[in-house]
Amino acid sequence: MRRRPMAWSLAATLLLGLAVPAGAADAGAIARTRLANGFTVLVRPNPAAPVVAISLGIRMGTRWETPETAGISNFLQLMVVRDTASRSGTQIVQEAERLGGQIDAVADQDWSEISATALSRNWKAILELVADVALHPTLADSLADSIKEFVLRQIRNRGDQPYAVAVDALTQSLFGQHPYAWNPLGRGQSVERIDRTSLLAHYRRHYVPGGMVLAVSGRVRTPEVVAEAERLFGGMPVGRPPSATTATPPPVGATRLESEVPGAQAQILMGALAPPFIHPDYPATKVLSTVLGGGMAGRFFSELRDKQALAYSTRALYPSLTDTGYFVAQLGTAPENLARAEASLKKELERIREEPPSAEELRVAKAYLLGNLAMDRRTNARQAWYLATFELAGVGYEFLDRYTAAVGAVTAADVQRVARAYLKTMRESVARPPIR
Amino acid sequence: MQRRYLPLIVLSAWLTGCSAAATVPSTVSNDTGLPPPTRQVLANGMRLIVQEHRAADIVALYLFVAVGARDEGPTDLGFSHFQEHMVFKGTDTQGPGFVDRAVEGAGGRSDANTSFDYTFYSLVLPTSEASHGIQILADMAFRSKFDPVEMARERDVILEEARVEQDSPDTALTRGLNRLVFRDHPYGRSLLGSEATLKGATRERLLAYYRRHYVPDQMTLVVVGPVAPRHIEAAVQDTFGRIPAGGHRRAPLAAARPLTDGTRQDVERPEQQAYLALGWRAPSTSDPDGFAVDLLATILGGTESSRLAQTLRDRDQLVARITMDYNSLEAGGVVSIKAKLEAKDLDKVQRLILDEIARIQEHGVTEDERELALTTFEASHAFDTETAEGLAYAYGLAETTWTLEAELMYVKRLRQVTREQIQDAARRFLSRTDYARLAFVPARKSR
Repeated sequence: MRRRPMAWSLAATLLLGLAVPAGAADAGAIARTRLANGFTVLVRPNPAAPVVAISLGIRMGTRWETPETAGISNFLQLMVVRDTASRSGTQIVQEAERLGGQIDAVADQDWSEISATALSRNWKAILELVADVALHPTLADSLADSIKEFVLRQIRNRGDQPYAVAVDALTQSLFGQHPYAWNPLGRGQSVERIDRTSLLAHYRRHYVPGGMVLAVSGRVRTPEVVAEAERLFGGMPVGRPPSATTATPPPVGATRLESEVPGAQAQILMGALAPPFIHPDYPATKVLSTVLGGGMAGRFFSELRDKQALAYSTRALYPSLTDTGYFVAQLGTAPENLARAEASLKKELERIREEPPSAEELRVAKAYLLGNLAMDRRTNARQAWYLATFELAGVGYEFLDRYTAAVGAVTAADVQRVARAYLKTMRESVARPPIR
Repeated sequence: MQRRYLPLIVLSAWLTGCSAAATVPSTVSNDTGLPPPTRQVLANGMRLIVQEHRAADIVALYLFVAVGARDEGPTDLGFSHFQEHMVFKGTDTQGPGFVDRAVEGAGGRSDANTSFDYTFYSLVLPTSEASHGIQILADMAFRSKFDPVEMARERDVILEEARVEQDSPDTALTRGLNRLVFRDHPYGRSLLGSEATLKGATRERLLAYYRRHYVPDQMTLVVVGPVAPRHIEAAVQDTFGRIPAGGHRRAPLAAARPLTDGTRQDVERPEQQAYLALGWRAPSTSDPDGFAVDLLATILGGTESSRLAQTLRDRDQLVARITMDYNSLEAGGVVSIKAKLEAKDLDKVQRLILDEIARIQEHGVTEDERELALTTFEASHAFDTETAEGLAYAYGLAETTWTLEAELMYVKRLRQVTREQIQDAARRFLSRTDYARLAFVPARKSR
């Protein structure tokens, strides 16, 4: 019932990644401490609200997986928050709730995270809970069995969702043997093979201080947090995480994939490989993505929804990845409009290569991009997440300041140039209801 | 795309189907360091609430209008929502997209939502744009054009929106259960209307609906940010303050009839995942019993470590997810339990849920559980204060469907609820026979 299209929960989270980077933190100074074993601690005191958020980032994710181990990072994260040497899964969530917050663990492409929140008066207890989950998971066989069943059902259920099916077909086509080809859930065959032995090996490879960053944001004092982090994590034996899987995406080629999924709408995706977020073209490509489909003032929304009434939701996604990234244009429409909508979306992708954004389009897109980043950085949970993931990616949290300045300097010619460089050959993936 | 920062915890948006809280667990405690909000009524009846909030240089402007699906006649179903879409499509002086360009060009974002009791519009902007934002909202509220060509286009967009809802099992489940719980009461209606009523929405009819309901005496503006109330008041007097009162009095809504029998519905869908929803009629916003129901729903199924999560998800591993929500509206409320599960376990899960209800009716809750539920509400409020939007939404909703004062006293009132009252609420509101059940089951021909 709302005007702004709703989230595609899982898919959106994964696709967006760092979707809304920029804007400078205005709270207390951020302190970076490296413990003797290589473990990194970032603390951002923020007195605004009586709360605290923690993000424990781990260099682990699909990027370190292979087609044979696809899904193991996500599987491991589901395990660690559900059983430790001293706490059952229920006790873990209940304890977090008693502290006025919650705890969760997820895996994405370039990073994995244990995240937690609490009322700030309980900061020490929630940090201790995060450490327990990270350092003392049992990875018990019986738990692995039930997690496996849970994940296999999630994979099966993804096949019932038109948008998820279209995304999976597209990333498979864009990335081939490269690990960005699969969703963090993994694939049925590889998940079937996961057992305690492989989980333990994965855990030991990745949960090492050289590949872990603890970020804490909230009403806390830096020296106290650092001392507590030292006490909890300082005893981990020194270790460096493995290097990522090396694989190259297949050569560029235009394709059109069609999947049949029952539903009221057809989902159209058009995608292409795009620069990683550490690439000099990243800011211009981010602006390009915003000009096309970043907000409700973008070309997709104003042309395809406002003028042509082809969709309720249409947008551009440009997830921020550390290896080769990708760009996706999305539109959901009634099956009878499919051909018209595909042609219209394609036309917008061609038009940006011929017709650079006007000065006004450029101004609105930049303001939207940076304004939304600033808004996104108001909560402690997001702050902790930004701090941990940028540090893990090796660019440091200072990256956002450089990025903000770089977005400011992007010109209309830059946008047209990256559009020509990266949106020349698009792969299409359509999920549509069966034709009766 | 999670771009909303409304209160998310415990009470999900049952009736609007979005991630907004329903009844609002919020009070200004000393710990947050916030001054109390100011509330005033302008000469034309418009209400203005201003909360100073200095955590960031961002201001949230929420315009609540006391119009929603409950105000629609049988032939204008969906008009409130249609009109919500149309006010973004231009005024007498500005074309379609004027809101988006202005708001996004200032680094902000806009949103809008239609429910049964209200419609709201929100702009979140850098503080320096506050007056500009108020001007934009006033233009939307009083100068919308309702151009017939734009109306025809937007009707198609809304039909796409209906398809999006149909393809989302969670949304379809929420809507479907709502219809079973409220039946022929206006709260049982479709918020989007039907293709027929949307086609019947001529410019004249929609404009008449707009002019009747979009009057200052039916509106509340909430402003939260690092602002001085007197500056905001000046900007509001200059815009909304110039519009005369409309004099429209909203028709009182009859209370919904209680559910006196079990309504059961199974719907075949293409997904292999099954869904179960159970619903009960519950107290309205003004009913003091609502406080006990809030705690009851939290303890039974509202948190990750609730009774139902512990037994059905963690111990028996019969559900992938189980949640419980209480949503109160002006003329009645609804309590619901929803689960994602395998079709073969539907009856078993339903039986076990009823067993848990029986257990709470018979033995009540522990002090430990009561305190954990209170902590959940306290924390939810503390996290709401991180952003301006959390408070703005809570205040606007309270002023429109409840009272601001009650909202400010909310956590304090919750603390007064005893374990006996929670047990009593379980006995009175969670009948083990008179409830609605909706199940989504995989279509037989599917794999």
